[in-house]
Amino acid sequence: MIGRFRQLLGSLRPEFYHRTSEHLNPYFTFTDYRKIWGVGIFLLAVTALLPLMVVTVIYYQLIQKSVDSELILRTERVASNARRAVTFFLEERLNALRFTVNEIDYGRLTNPDDFAELLRNLKLGFGGLTDLSVISHAGIQVAYAGPFHLEGKDYSKQAWFAECQNCNFYVSEIFRGYRDLPHIIIAVKSFRPDGTHFILRATLETERLIQTLSSYKTGEHADIFLASRSGIMQTPSKFYGDLFEKMALPVPDYSPRTQTVMAADGQGRPIITGYAFISTQIADTPFILMVTKQKAGMMGVWLELHSNINWFVGFSIMVIILVVTVTCTLMVNKLYLADRDKAEAMAAMEQNNQLASIGQLAAGVAHEINNPLALINETAGYVKDLFVIKEQYSKDDELLENIDYILEAVARCGTITRQLLGFSRKFDVKIQRVNLNEVISDVLVFHNKEAEYRNVNVFVDISKDIPEIETDRGKLQQVLLNLVSNAFQAVDNGCNLDITALPEGVNKVSITISDNGCGMPEENLSKIFEPFFTTKERGKGTGLGLTITYGLVKKLHGNISVKSRENEGTEFIITLPIHLQEEMRKDENSFGR
Amino acid sequence: MKILLVDDEKKFAMMLSKRLALRGIEVDYVFTAEEAMAKVESNKYDVAILDVKMPGIGGIELEPKLKALVPGMKTIFLTGHGSAADFTAGSAEAAYYLAKPLQIDELIEILHEVTQ
Repeated sequence: MIGRFRQLLGSLRPEFYHRTSEHLNPYFTFTDYRKIWGVGIFLLAVTALLPLMVVTVIYYQLIQKSVDSELILRTERVASNARRAVTFFLEERLNALRFTVNEIDYGRLTNPDDFAELLRNLKLGFGGLTDLSVISHAGIQVAYAGPFHLEGKDYSKQAWFAECQNCNFYVSEIFRGYRDLPHIIIAVKSFRPDGTHFILRATLETERLIQTLSSYKTGEHADIFLASRSGIMQTPSKFYGDLFEKMALPVPDYSPRTQTVMAADGQGRPIITGYAFISTQIADTPFILMVTKQKAGMMGVWLELHSNINWFVGFSIMVIILVVTVTCTLMVNKLYLADRDKAEAMAAMEQNNQLASIGQLAAGVAHEINNPLALINETAGYVKDLFVIKEQYSKDDELLENIDYILEAVARCGTITRQLLGFSRKFDVKIQRVNLNEVISDVLVFHNKEAEYRNVNVFVDISKDIPEIETDRGKLQQVLLNLVSNAFQAVDNGCNLDITALPEGVNKVSITISDNGCGMPEENLSKIFEPFFTTKERGKGTGLGLTITYGLVKKLHGNISVKSRENEGTEFIITLPIHLQEEMRKDENSFGR
Repeated sequence: MKILLVDDEKKFAMMLSKRLALRGIEVDYVFTAEEAMAKVESNKYDVAILDVKMPGIGGIELEPKLKALVPGMKTIFLTGHGSAADFTAGSAEAAYYLAKPLQIDELIEILHEVTQ
């Protein structure tokens, strides 16, 4: 399973990633395809992703800003409305007291029945009042109407009394006082005809105020409450402290208008706070209206959108990277393959040129050497003739032997020059119909004994689909004989030699001669067709066998290639046209043009 | 058997004729085509051995001229170069080509063959 997976991965891996054929390196236009690939992916990805990222960031900031300003606006509106309601609540009752002291004289106010009647009427008209009392200029309560028994109480030492005497109107903080219940005092100072003054004081229930405030509360993340200017909670809050506790938020700076600020609360939650210092037209009050909204709670919708955008952007990034990677890989691979084809063509061309020029040189040298060689041959032959035929020195074996050495050496040189000439010679090709099976059998006849003696297993597999081919029988035989002889020299006893032939396309056949012999190192592969290149011992090989084979295959309008691995074996592949005549005609036409 | 050897390599021609003479074959040797033409006018030869490549008129060109003068004379070409022209330009009758350096026994064999 793992093996198959690896195999799949291997087949997905582009060719340029594990380039082979080091000997082609000088012919490549680009050298580092992995780098091109990496840089390509990076540049394309950056070009594609950067605008997306920038737009996303800008979009985020815009959304954030608009959400913030929307939240601020909403908070400010709530704070502003609630401020008006609280102000109106207090102002209405202060006005009622002012009206009362202006309208009703001191005598009636201090009459218990009239006073009780007044309280009833005020309760009916405005509501929210608990009791009423009249306090003399000395601070003594002279009249009281209400549920408590507070007549005769002395307020002269209390702070509110002193303040009210100074300011004419007074609104207290919420406090417990003698009755031990949260309440607010509002008071109005008035003058009697005798010039002395008195204070009409009313106590307001806090429930009405709390209800009024509660009606402005919106949502579970919002909070609305009153605090005193010294930071004491005046109404209960959901998040920032109970009644009379110290407010868990800093006291805001004074402002005559409704304000909104963004900050973090004591627990680090980002909140928007709207606040207003409550002040009636008649009197200032000690209250600060606080409206808070927790940002996180209010931004639920935005956060959901945020998450959707994140998913979309993430998905887009992955798709872009995938597409960029695949495109880049395919393109770089195409580039690499084109470059490799070009490099192969250039290497082949260079080899051809080299072979052609070396061939010309070799032929020239061979021809020049042949004449003196012929002279040596004839001269030495004549000397020998003198010995043998004229019997002048026939007794001198040593001389005769030396002459034979000369003749043998000349014969060997003659063989080499003939081979060299054969390599460059453009002798005619005799085309005939050839049965591959027969040719291969003929060639193998030469090696039958050796195969038997050395226990070399020769396998021949000729595809039945191969027709008779038109080619030069003699040359094909020589080619095959050269390759088979080489293979026999390369394998150890008991090794294998495979000869297979397959049709290749409609017009070609390929013949493969492979062995599992000693193989050869990669650096030799590119040189084996060069003249005089041999790995055999000095004197054992001329280094012309494969050069001639190459030349012959080219003359047959074929191709020859080699693959080899050291200690694993070598494989020669020859591709030949089925109709040589046709190929030659085409060739002539293209030259004639 | 009388032979005319035409080769511009003077020493080679001399040596080869000496060797043939030692084997009982009568050989005249000349170094140019012109000399050869003059020679056949005054002598009767059975075989002409012509070097393919010579300065001026080469063996291939010389052969038909000699044939015209001496009908029935056989020809053997010697070549130090194996170009296609060397092997195909001769007339159909001139079927024998020998590459330098020669094997003397081979030459003798061919001489016997052509004169039979």
